[in-house]
Amino acid sequence: MQVQVMIFGQLADITGTSELILHDIPDTDTLQETLHKLYPALANTKYAIAMNKKTIQGNTILTGDTNIALLPPFSGG
Amino acid sequence: MESPVGKKINSSGMSERKPKNIFQQGAIPATFIAESIQKHSSQTAIGGHSIFLGQVRADETENGKVKSIDFTAFEDMAQEKMHLIREDIFAKYPLTCMHVHHSLGEVQAGEICLFVFTSSAHRKAAMDACEETVERLKAELPVWGREIMENESHQWKVNK
Repeated sequence: MQVQVMIFGQLADITGTSELILHDIPDTDTLQETLHKLYPALANTKYAIAMNKKTIQGNTILTGDTNIALLPPFSGG
Repeated sequence: MESPVGKKINSSGMSERKPKNIFQQGAIPATFIAESIQKHSSQTAIGGHSIFLGQVRADETENGKVKSIDFTAFEDMAQEKMHLIREDIFAKYPLTCMHVHHSLGEVQAGEICLFVFTSSAHRKAAMDACEETVERLKAELPVWGREIMENESHQWKVNK
């Protein structure tokens, strides 16, 4: 099972990439721990998580191949 | 078969609207806005239009003066979200039509980056729907503006 992580806005300035592929991530809490180890500055940054284009609240189990997006505060318009 | 307002009726009598692409590369030209208004002259049931235009502001910030904003989006998610907003607004207000256009890429200070256009038989629905659509899309669409300064440094826009 692999997780595609799309990274937007100022978060991509931190990671230096707009996309990551991670393996063996059972849930979104583990995903965040993994990301915060890779990129410590992310832990101090406000962002929402979308799973398959829907924003999620709280820890969510990842089943099958999943598209995750890290969304900093919106500033369109 | 679609009517001119992009609305069709399914077997249950509920209206269905196809998701429209709201994004276009670069600034929204004034001529595009004029043409969009002109296209509605054949729809004589309309009695009022309301238009909101978002313009890039040359803010003075501690990092310098804003020269332009470079917009990026999670386009697929934004299109889906905009479709839901559109459905909500049409359910709430008796609108004849709604058009939303948002820039992607770099838009210079003074240029238009957002165009929201609602029309109805009577003015109140168009005006209220326009305002609510602008507020919702600013809060709910995954779009980000990177402000580019005259000194080429940048910072991320924050919506107020």
